[in-house]
Amino acid sequence: MIEFIQNTVDGIMIGSRYSLLAIGFTLIFGIMRRLNLSYGPSIMLGVFIGTFLFVQYQAGWLAVAAATLLGAVLAGIYVERLCFWAIRQGAALASMVSSFAIWMQLEELTTLVFPDRTYPFPPLTSAQPFEVAGINIQSTYLIMFGCAVAIMGALSFMLYRTRFGLALRAVAENPLAARFMGVGTGRVTFLAFVLASAIGGIAGYLIAANEQQVTPLFGLWATFKGMIAMMLGGMGSVPGAILGGFVLGVVESQATWYLGTSFRDIAAYGLLFAVLVLRPGGLLGQRRAERERLALRRV
Amino acid sequence: MDEYTIQVLSNIGMFSFLALSAYLLLMTGEISFGQQAFFAIGAYASGIVTAMWGWGLGLGILCGALVAAAAAFLLAWPTLRLRGLYFAIGTLAFAEMVRLLFEIFSYQIEIDGELVGPNGSDGFRGVRYVFENDISNFQYMLLIYGLLAAVLAGFFLIGRSRLGAIFRMLGEDELLAEMQGVNRTFYKVLATVLAGFIAGIGGALYIHLNTYVEPKIFNVMLGVHSLAYGLIGGLGTSLGPLLGVAIDIGLLESIRIFTGYRMIVFGGLVAVLLIVRPRGLLDEEVIYWLKYRMRRPLARTARRQADAAPSEAGDAQD
Amino acid sequence: MLRIEGLSRYFGGLQALADVDYSVEGEGVYGLIGPNGSGKTTLFNIVTGLYRPSAGRVTFEGEDISRRGPHRIVAMGIARTFQTPRIYARMTVRENLRAAQHTLARDVRLAGAGERIDALLEATGLADRRDELAKNLPLPEQRRLELARALAREPKLLLLDEPAGGMTPTETHEMARLIEEVAAPGRACIVIEHKMDMIAQLCADVCVLNFGAKIAEGAPDDVLNDPVVLEAYIGRNAGAA
Repeated sequence: MIEFIQNTVDGIMIGSRYSLLAIGFTLIFGIMRRLNLSYGPSIMLGVFIGTFLFVQYQAGWLAVAAATLLGAVLAGIYVERLCFWAIRQGAALASMVSSFAIWMQLEELTTLVFPDRTYPFPPLTSAQPFEVAGINIQSTYLIMFGCAVAIMGALSFMLYRTRFGLALRAVAENPLAARFMGVGTGRVTFLAFVLASAIGGIAGYLIAANEQQVTPLFGLWATFKGMIAMMLGGMGSVPGAILGGFVLGVVESQATWYLGTSFRDIAAYGLLFAVLVLRPGGLLGQRRAERERLALRRV
Repeated sequence: MDEYTIQVLSNIGMFSFLALSAYLLLMTGEISFGQQAFFAIGAYASGIVTAMWGWGLGLGILCGALVAAAAAFLLAWPTLRLRGLYFAIGTLAFAEMVRLLFEIFSYQIEIDGELVGPNGSDGFRGVRYVFENDISNFQYMLLIYGLLAAVLAGFFLIGRSRLGAIFRMLGEDELLAEMQGVNRTFYKVLATVLAGFIAGIGGALYIHLNTYVEPKIFNVMLGVHSLAYGLIGGLGTSLGPLLGVAIDIGLLESIRIFTGYRMIVFGGLVAVLLIVRPRGLLDEEVIYWLKYRMRRPLARTARRQADAAPSEAGDAQD
Repeated sequence: MLRIEGLSRYFGGLQALADVDYSVEGEGVYGLIGPNGSGKTTLFNIVTGLYRPSAGRVTFEGEDISRRGPHRIVAMGIARTFQTPRIYARMTVRENLRAAQHTLARDVRLAGAGERIDALLEATGLADRRDELAKNLPLPEQRRLELARALAREPKLLLLDEPAGGMTPTETHEMARLIEEVAAPGRACIVIEHKMDMIAQLCADVCVLNFGAKIAEGAPDDVLNDPVVLEAYIGRNAGAA
């Protein structure tokens, strides 16, 4: 029983990584109704720029974090302009495939400039893991958990208490109507993308600092974990992204414990498939009409 | 024809099956990122049949395709209610599960003192039918293109038939199609099964030429690629996906000057192409233009000639 | 032919239809009017199988179709058009009409289907547009295309949802003529419209919905002058001004 609880706690801690990744993903999806397959790779670019500063110039954690953020945002802007803004409204599939093409670009660019398999990354904290009521807790994960909650709080405030947030929600709900109300949809979309990339950058920094290393496989991994967590919680829902991340983390850690590491990812995808078939709106479910509107994108 | 060209052409041929598989579903309006699963199933099934049970190649390919089709049938039902992006992600999840299952799937038997058969992440080695039976690379390439021609003929026939029109109706506007009597369930399942079958053929051909596969080949990259081929080459004709494959594999090989930068160049090219032609090079408008606008001048000329020539029968009527 | 009994439909907390009784017998044009949001399109959607009723029953030619899927209901001889024209954008006009016939029974399909298409193209004035891509047609022609493709299966019951929406008076008049001369003969048509002169001209019977409930039904002259109906549309001071 104690293992089950430990796994759950571990899962939630690990899941906070996924939550952070999912938030940005879901923001983009909520606004654009399109999947950004370049999300992970653009964060990865930022992380590698951070690592570069660390390795070459022994930069401190603040500089590395700032560089990671900036790198992710710049990569995100590149993707947004090329794959989403430039492609006309109805061609959702073209945008997704375009983002995939840029994914390949970013991956190759990263492996060209950083040819080694792994690079060191400055750690988050040197504090030791501690125990609470017999359960092991790592302080790095606690920091990530805290960040995820803080970001969610900040986002909620922004979405529901500021004008920009209102504009964002308007565009997410009905872009055409929003435009008629005088909302500059292009600008709002762009800013949302920047915001999502920034959050992704933070996520990337925290994850890399936790691992204390970065590898070129990060891009693919980040995209998929983020996407699965987003789908579990419900496309376009920020609280859903957080919940989805935790659920994913817990399922993974339980699966690893009881079935072995080879089943970890199978369990994750199996869960995703099950959620899609049984409750496509995600755990925090969306209203059916809205879900159908989302899904009926013409190719 | 030199060995290198044969190899490139063979690859183009084999991956065309995958591209056509994704294209078929795209015609019915569904985005699938998961056809590589059926490619994989076709490969493994046909390999088991020829390398482990000693059957012939033809039977092996057929088995591979049928098992893939059966798997597609199973996938069709849970995903039936899924629409649009949910379906796309569902296929992706399914394909990754298939890949991960192959990573732990092991089935080996001893043949001539050696262990033969798929072995988890080591993959499936020793599928040597082609070499044990002295089939040259050139002959195999002919086999690939022979089967591809058959599949294309199938597409062509379907395209002009009622079935093709119904698929296109579903692709254009599913709701409207249902309002015109189309039984969505039946046709969606049919399309999924056919697509699985086609991908299965490709997979079977692949494993026999390369003599081995590893599960990690059948990843999402491959899946999105197969969808992208149709989108690059054009969604207006079944030759579009082939064009996409040819551009990717052909161009990729020829841009030797850019070694190391291939993905960067190619990725950039694709992104730019999709801005200008979101439905590919040979999209519906181009095909429409070719069909109607080109024919009209020809018809007009024919009529003019007919008018100009004196008609004996006509003169007699006074 | 069509009988609707006690039909209700809820969307979450919103009641779109409230215990509606309505029936249509025999050929002719029937009007279905009401302010926006009164449930007219929802009624069409339920009859054609897009939604299930929350309560009540729909019967067509004696058979209960309340829970049937759209493709089976259509096969029984019901066709409809939509508020915003739904056509196959990337197919030609002719292909659009042909598409409607693909799911007909084989013998029906092969017997004179082509002639029917040509006749419809002539009748709706789209003959010279037959090879044009549907998405290139202007709105009035798209609406005529919708009418033509709805007629391509020779339905017994035709549901027209705002067929003159967005059209100028001349175009509206033309559409009314088309409905009267081409669509109406030999079948029952139910027309949702906001253009009252068109309704008055075409319909023998008019049904009025408001907030999902039927508030009036009868001859156009009676219904259009009914103070209850006027109040629904214009508001409380209907009689005073």
